[in-house]
Amino acid sequence: MASNRYDAIIIGGGHNGLVAAAYLARAKKRVVVLERRPLVGGAAVTEEIYPGFKFSVFSYVVSLLRPEIIRDLDLPAHGLQILPLESTVTPLESGDYLAGWGDADETRRELRRHSPHDAEAMAIFGRLMQHMAMAVKPILSMVPPDPASLSPGDLKGLLKLGGHFRSLGAERFHALYKLMTMSSADYLDEWFEFGPLKATKSASGIIGTFLGPRSPGSAYVLLHHYMGEIDGAFRAWGFQKGGTGGISDAIASAARSHGAEIRTDASVEKVLTKGETVVGVALANGDELRAPIVVSGLDPRRTFMNLLDPRQLPTDLVDGVNRYKFRGSSGKVNLALSGLPEFTCMKHDKGLMLRATRGAFSISPSIEYLERAYDDAKYGQFSSNPYMDIVVGSMIDPGMAPPGKHVMSIFVQYAPYNITGGWNDATRDAFGNAVIKTLARFAPNIESLILHMQVLTPADIERITGLSEGNIFQGELALQQLFFLRPVPAWAKYRTPVRGFWQCGAGTHPGGGIMGASGRLAALEILGA
Amino acid sequence: MKYDAIVIGAGPNGLVAATTLAQHRKRVLVLESALEIGGHMRTIEFAPGFRSPLNEDHGWIPPRVRSIVGEFKGLTQVPLEVSMTVAGADGARLTLHSSPEKAAAEIRAHSDRDAARWPAFVARLQRFAGILAELYQLTPPDIDTRSVGEVLPLVGIGRKLRALGHADMIEFLRVLPMSVQDLLDDAFESELLKAAVAACAIRDLQQGPRSGGTTFNLLHYMVGAPQGSVRGRDRFLEAPDSFVKAVAGAARKRGVEIRTGAPVVRIDVRDGAIAGVVLEGGEEIAAPRVISTADPSRTMRMVDPVWLDPDFMLGVRNVKFRGCTAFVFFAVDAEVAGKVDHSTPATISLTADTATLEKAADAAKYGEWSAEPHVEFFIASQRWPGLAPDGRHVITARVQYAPYHLKGGWSEARTAALRDKATAAIARLVPGFESAIRHRAVLTPRDVEERFGVTEGALTHGEMTLDQILFMRPVPGWGKYRMPIDGLFIGGAGAHPGPGILGGAGYLAARAALR
Repeated sequence: MASNRYDAIIIGGGHNGLVAAAYLARAKKRVVVLERRPLVGGAAVTEEIYPGFKFSVFSYVVSLLRPEIIRDLDLPAHGLQILPLESTVTPLESGDYLAGWGDADETRRELRRHSPHDAEAMAIFGRLMQHMAMAVKPILSMVPPDPASLSPGDLKGLLKLGGHFRSLGAERFHALYKLMTMSSADYLDEWFEFGPLKATKSASGIIGTFLGPRSPGSAYVLLHHYMGEIDGAFRAWGFQKGGTGGISDAIASAARSHGAEIRTDASVEKVLTKGETVVGVALANGDELRAPIVVSGLDPRRTFMNLLDPRQLPTDLVDGVNRYKFRGSSGKVNLALSGLPEFTCMKHDKGLMLRATRGAFSISPSIEYLERAYDDAKYGQFSSNPYMDIVVGSMIDPGMAPPGKHVMSIFVQYAPYNITGGWNDATRDAFGNAVIKTLARFAPNIESLILHMQVLTPADIERITGLSEGNIFQGELALQQLFFLRPVPAWAKYRTPVRGFWQCGAGTHPGGGIMGASGRLAALEILGA
Repeated sequence: MKYDAIVIGAGPNGLVAATTLAQHRKRVLVLESALEIGGHMRTIEFAPGFRSPLNEDHGWIPPRVRSIVGEFKGLTQVPLEVSMTVAGADGARLTLHSSPEKAAAEIRAHSDRDAARWPAFVARLQRFAGILAELYQLTPPDIDTRSVGEVLPLVGIGRKLRALGHADMIEFLRVLPMSVQDLLDDAFESELLKAAVAACAIRDLQQGPRSGGTTFNLLHYMVGAPQGSVRGRDRFLEAPDSFVKAVAGAARKRGVEIRTGAPVVRIDVRDGAIAGVVLEGGEEIAAPRVISTADPSRTMRMVDPVWLDPDFMLGVRNVKFRGCTAFVFFAVDAEVAGKVDHSTPATISLTADTATLEKAADAAKYGEWSAEPHVEFFIASQRWPGLAPDGRHVITARVQYAPYHLKGGWSEARTAALRDKATAAIARLVPGFESAIRHRAVLTPRDVEERFGVTEGALTHGEMTLDQILFMRPVPGWGKYRMPIDGLFIGGAGAHPGPGILGGAGYLAARAALR
């Protein structure tokens, strides 16, 4: 039996926890990761929920994974293999489609078909967004300085940040300011005229957030999704071979190679403290593990309100966690299919359809469509005509389904956590039906292909992964909870009031997506402390 | 040349700009297209003998503006005791007194917890508005600000910010981009109280209380408000337009010439520099400087576009105006005013919960007018008896959301429907209201545009959203009043600090023009 004494204990084997573990182990710490479920990955898991069919159950695409992490942990050697998603197709209400392809020239030709103006604007827009993403990227690798502090470390950080913004020049700084404050629809209105293009782009501004495309603040989420990079290529989304769980497995393997121990089926009940210092954790099975460093990869609510006794925490922290907004707004439908869906908009060209099926389909025919979907959710209903992002995983990696069969992952928004009357089997079924009915408008044969259907509401996501209110980012990416405000002002540097107890989940800066940045920055802070 | 500068528009900003220039011995001509001075502060005779202002609350006079025009004659401000009342159809009612203790006493009827929290809540917002007030007296800094003259005042602001203390300073930065709904949900439980504050935060926005940045809009209109008030500044005693009259007096005393009924149709540019203006009749007036207090879009429409950079023009085109407030004026028999049960006249909001406010805003997103609009009103003639004949009263209602860009356009039938909605809303609170009405008149955003010359009927000269303030106002990178044509300045509400800060932009624009 392993000894129960470690240098560091990581609570939660999500990808951030695993990254933190790997970095700590790499620095020769004796580390253990404790995961409640039988498999690691948190919301980045692959599961065979129907015999022969493998699903990226929750998170299904990747683009934000930090290149320095891939490099530092040598993840390709541990199985990281991202297959590019080559296109996004938006079926239109008119029966036509709008496609964005991997090749920029092809995309421009396609766009010109709909709007010559937008085709021209896209080139400039793309360049500007790339600059913006470049401008924000250093912030992703930075521990957020406290703007109200006069300590040398914070002042240094602030000066660095100020210098960074100045180096952008006025024009780009103003564009960045707009992205931080505007709605994605307003921002895109300044550039484009073709509705479905604006809608499809603005969809990245609402993912995982309880905002509509016309809500100020959504332009930042747009940028957040623009920062994606795989192997240094901007705005490239990809699909991990074998499903998203493969990413977690690769990080776990890297951590193990540095000596980290990973225990699954190990649910942490409490963080143990002595005075104001952490001493270890207590598991649900009664075991106790000891370590001078404990790192929580769970979201802020679980970290502060469940693992600790809130009464031992300062009231401003407790108030901050209480008002921290989770508001899960999305659900997931996973389908096992007996064959390929046929999208009406491409029926005339089977070759084209086959090619498009290796990419994503976006159900976002207009801004108004998305906005109305949001209005449903605002008043406590799931969207009757939701936004959907659809990926047929088995077309990208045939190993995901038996030959001739397919798996389809459907990200669905909006499905508010706080639905009127609460989520139950009946509302879950109704939600699933709304998704299939909407999809059938664009791919009529879908219903006849379904072998198995898994519907995940925000309540299910919370129950299975532990993400509070089913928020996929461990808390909204809203301006008031970003950077030095994430998760709570004064506790934004991965620290907690309990000495030796740290946070490393997506609920800390920079948060959200399979990025790993929170886990890495937390580990570096711990090692530097 | 007879004039050193021409000021377009005789609203508060134009008159303050003119006075500031005249103080520095400049010969100034003010050109106003309407027959009266005052801009949106002038009253409207909507029926014979009945006049109404657009607003009950006219804004804040920054100290510098006060001092440059000297002590205004005939301008007394009455302390604002009641900032607003919110009244539900079911008889629920809440009056927010400026005195936090009195307000808390009223709130206690709805929630003890909220009552206990109110004084600290409002005091904190007040401190935040105080920071804005400092910022509103300066030319906004930009990323390329390096000159000592611009940086020094910022040090002062920095000091003020630090004086807030660490927690408040962070809190200030945190709440600015928030939706007022989130702000209120975190603090209070009483729907009535939330609806009262939220109504202040959506003023003249096309967005509902759940939209980010509505907290900023709330703070913006709290700048200069008396302690404890979330809505409105101290009122002028004499008349709604006494401020402009007083400033015009000060301007004339310093030799400023003011011509009304003189619409400028063109701003003349020669060799890239201002040459003067051309009036509607063809009259040309030469001057090396023009300060326009018309909104940025309207101002640039007066300039031959060959002189303007396409990128700059794109910025002008991208200004979000989005007028969405309509006005309904009522001339009524005096008895009916007595039935409005409140001791001190103030705005009465008729939307008793935030979801209804939000739903009213939803319609505007799709270019529709709200079937259940947000209506608030005040009895203008109770505050300023001169506005109505004896035995009669004037009631002024503001209706949101009535978008300028209405699908299918503003027809007479739709205008009438909006008027009837507002009437019915007030009638639910005031028994016998409908039968007491002698005259009614409506101004949709289209009418506001026509009558006041503001693009899209936006009296704000551009929505007060976070992306359109400071160095982003009126156009990103052109926040320092100086426009890309030598000698042309923007000094209206379309420039920093925006609407509701009387003469704020005009003063700073004049300073820029003097440099």
